[in-house]
Order: sequence, then C-alpha cells, then structure tokens
Amino acid sequence: MSATLALAIFVTAFFFIATEKADKVKVVLIAAGAMAAMKLIPGAEVFFSEHEGIDWNVIFLLLGMMIIVGIIKQTGVFDYLAIWAAKRSRGRPYRLMVMLLAITAVASPFLDNVTTIMLVAPVTVVVCNRLQIPVQPYLIAEVLASNIGGAATLIGDPPNIIIGSRAGLSFNDFLVHLTPIVVIICVAFVLLAWVLFRKSFHYNPDRVAEVMALQERRAITDPALLARCLVVLALVMLGFGLHSVLHIEPSIVALLGAGVMILVARTDINDVLGEVEWPTLVFFMGLFVMVGGLVHTGVIETAGSWAVEAVGDNFFGAATALLFGSAVLGAFFDNIPYTATMAPIVEGLAAEAPDAATGQALWWAFALGADFSGNGTAVAASANVVAIGIAARSGHRISFWEFTRYGITVTLLTTFMAWVYVYLRYFA
Amino acid sequence: MRARDIAIQVPTVAVGDSVTRTVRVMALGRLPGLIVVDERRRPRMVVPGTQILRMLVPRSYQEDPALARTVDEPHADLFWRELGELTIGDFLHDQDFRPVTVREDATLLEAAALMARRRTPLVVVVDRGGTMTGAVTLDRLLGSLALSAPQE
Repeated sequence: MSATLALAIFVTAFFFIATEKADKVKVVLIAAGAMAAMKLIPGAEVFFSEHEGIDWNVIFLLLGMMIIVGIIKQTGVFDYLAIWAAKRSRGRPYRLMVMLLAITAVASPFLDNVTTIMLVAPVTVVVCNRLQIPVQPYLIAEVLASNIGGAATLIGDPPNIIIGSRAGLSFNDFLVHLTPIVVIICVAFVLLAWVLFRKSFHYNPDRVAEVMALQERRAITDPALLARCLVVLALVMLGFGLHSVLHIEPSIVALLGAGVMILVARTDINDVLGEVEWPTLVFFMGLFVMVGGLVHTGVIETAGSWAVEAVGDNFFGAATALLFGSAVLGAFFDNIPYTATMAPIVEGLAAEAPDAATGQALWWAFALGADFSGNGTAVAASANVVAIGIAARSGHRISFWEFTRYGITVTLLTTFMAWVYVYLRYFA
Repeated sequence: MRARDIAIQVPTVAVGDSVTRTVRVMALGRLPGLIVVDERRRPRMVVPGTQILRMLVPRSYQEDPALARTVDEPHADLFWRELGELTIGDFLHDQDFRPVTVREDATLLEAAALMARRRTPLVVVVDRGGTMTGAVTLDRLLGSLALSAPQE
C-alpha cells in the first residue's frame, strides 16, 4: 500500500514537473512533504541517509560551484573572449559560429550549462545584431554545444554530479571515460553545424566595422582579480583531480574553493550569495526526498529487480537500452529528475554485472544518454529554456519546434556516436 | 482635499504599445511613470520611471556590467533601439507591476501612504466602476500638501 501511495505521489509530481503546469520547486516540496508526512520516508533518512535521503554531496558541490562561477563571471573574461573571437572571425558567419562554439564547449565542462549560456548568449546577441545576421542559429548551436561539452566532466552537467555521487565515480573517472568521446562528438558537431545552419549564414562585409568597434578590453576592469580567480579555479580543478588521492570529497573541494575565491575576490558576501540559485538547490533536495520515498517503500527495488531480470546477462543490451532510453525519456522530461530517479535502478543493474568494468560501462552509457538528452527538445534542459528566454527578450524568438528540429538531429547523432564508443570501448 | 481635487489627466499606454513608444510618451508628458490601461480604460499596471529603465535596458546589460562596458560610445547612446518592436506586454510576465489605484474620494493621506508603500511616484484615480478618471503624481501631491500647510 505504501509503495502504491509513494508511486502515486511521485508520478503526480513528475507529471507537473514535466508539463511545467506548476512551479517545479513547489511541486517537489509538496511531494516531498507529502511523502514525509505519510511516513513513506522517515525523517532521519531524509537528512542523514546518503542513498535514501538528500545527497548533500550533490547539494554542496552545486553550491560551491555556483559561488565560484558567480565570482568568475564578474571578471568579464567571457565577454572579453567572445568579443575577441567575434573580431577574429571578421564577420564570417561560420567562422564566428565555430569560435563561439569552441568557447562554449571549452567552458561548459567546468561551468554548469545554464551559467555557460548566460555568459555566452548575451554577447552573441550583441555581435549578431551588429552584423545584422539572425541570432537564432548561433544561440541554438551554443546550447547544443554546451549540453554536449557538459558531459565531459563530473561537474559539467547536473546528471553527472548525481551519477558521480551515486556510483562513487571520481572527477578523473569522468575525464578518462567521457572526455575523449565528448571531444570527438564536439568536433563532429562543429562540422554538422555547417550543414544544419548553412542557409542562415549571410556575410555582410559592410557590417564588420560595427563589430570591430566593440571594446573587449573594457570588459576586464581588474586583471589582477581575474588572475587570482583563475588561479583558484585551477586549484579547484586540481583538487577534483586529486580527490581520490587526498580523500577529500568533490563537494568539500568545491566549498573550500568557494571560500578561497570569496577571500581573494574580496567581494561582499551578500553579493556572492545572491549569485547562488537557491531554487535549484531546493529543487534537488525535494527531488532526493521524493526518490528516497520510492527507495524506502521498495518501488525502486521492484523496478530494479525487473530490470535485472530483463537484462539477464546481456549487459551490452542493458547499456544500449540505458543510452537510447535515457536519450529519449530525458528529452521529454527534465533530465535532472529523470537521472535522480533512474540512478538507484542503474545502481542495482551495475551491482549484477559480472565485473566492475562492465558495471561502470552501464553508468557511462547512462550518463551519456542523460546528458545528450538535454538537446532533444526545447524544454529538455534548463540551458535550453534560458537561451530561448534570452532570445525572446532581445526580440529574436525561437519557437519550440525551431529548437527541437535541430535538437532531435543532434541528439540522434551524438547518441549514436556514444553508442558506438560504448560498444568499442567496453563490450567489443 | 480628496484625490479627485488634485488629479490630473495624463497620457496612458496600452499593453500592445511598443516600449520605445512608451518612452516617448513619458518623456513628452514629463511623467514620473506610466499607466498601462486596458481597452476599457481600466488600469492594468503602474510602472515607475526607474522601472521603465528595466524594460528599456536589455537584460543582458543589466545583469552583465562587463558586457555594457564593451559597447562603444556611439552605440551606447542608442542601446534602447535594440528593443525594436517589443511591447509592454512582453515584459508583463517578468515584472510585478500591479495597478496602484485610489478611489476619487480618497484623502491625500491615503494617496501618500499608498505611494510610499508601493514606492511609486504615480497613483491612478478610479471611479466606482474601476475606470480611470485621472492620476495623482508625486509632484502634484507634494505641491498640494505644501500649499495646504499653515503658513510658518
């Protein structure tokens, strides 16, 4: 009975989150509150069980990175780089797109995708307006590149943070297993972008002077601050890389980095905390409680047993199903709640694998599918919604289908390439 | 004195008007803010002048001072033209501008308290049916209060 009740609450909440009929933060809080009030998950587990309650590693890793990124973006370095790149392109549309995609793809593994888009998209609008070329292809391509690039590291995309914490995978594991294929896919995407957007590439040589008038050097007012921030960021990345040697959790590394960043930047603490996306953190907490309710009442165990039975000893089939299934389902639902829900089931599957490497292969297939699903539709990932909002506010509307028809093509290509990679590397 | 005694007629704008047009209305009327009305002249919202800037300045420049710094001087004078044909309605969902209204028989204290509470330099005066009959501006209110005070 309790399992049915938990499942009913979960499905109802998921419906409201997926259809965006209500504020998703309110939805998860109400659902989590209902589960706790009906004792579908004990209070002690909510706060103190790593696998059945709130995963504080994820929450504090996100919090630390939000603070770090919030300070770095004030340095103006992204505006500088984007305008510098635009000037180097001399107004040539495809060259401009390649340079902006390169900046996005390099930034997204280290910053969350929403932040990357919030940094790159506004300056893209300015540059495209000056060149009098359509903004939409550039923004759509940047979002797609950001969702692909984010898959490369533990901290690049929220699904990876959830998976890393659940599966005990380190920053270096992601670098070794996901970064190579993400780099290859990024290169393929840059080539594909020419095919996808070639009809919108118009070169206006008489408008190049307008771009050259932008003053990128004025973006950085305090080079010393920028240097200090970049040093701290490099140390944080080093900390992530050495966390299995130092035995310091990534969340602690991020929090220490955030603290040092606040000290070296000498910014007001209230300004810094204003950069934290508190609703996102609360959303994650509520989500973990909801999934915890399913775990505690045995729903996940039942689903996991069914999955194990269905897989049998065909683990390549399981990896294939995880990869393509995640790419499809994550595209229609927000990929964060999808990942949080599926992670305990994948954990059960991985435990049944004949060896640790095969078990890990399932996690990588799951991560790639969940990450690339963010490109599937206009609402599949938060970065997509943010970019569409920026476009609308600047008078360049991107419709759901305008985004989605490119998104589906790219998701199909990237998922297929990821599938080939998973087969060749883990099952061939 | 009552609100109707000091109310003045001010130009209004509609939800479908472009933001650039509303700026011209405000500048030419020397208004401290704008009143947006529906087709039946019922006030839909009151937007203080400083908040008009929130519509006028592209959000990217508000949120990213570094980007604003990169814009050269000639373009910096023309930033508001980037809005093109965006209308007041395009910003409605982003902002919390409710109508700030008083009835015609409201006292000056009521009008002043409302202005202070809602931080607006403009209050719409409405009749019993909710239709706009005029507006009380901060200038007009302070002037009336000063004139009605006993001579020192």
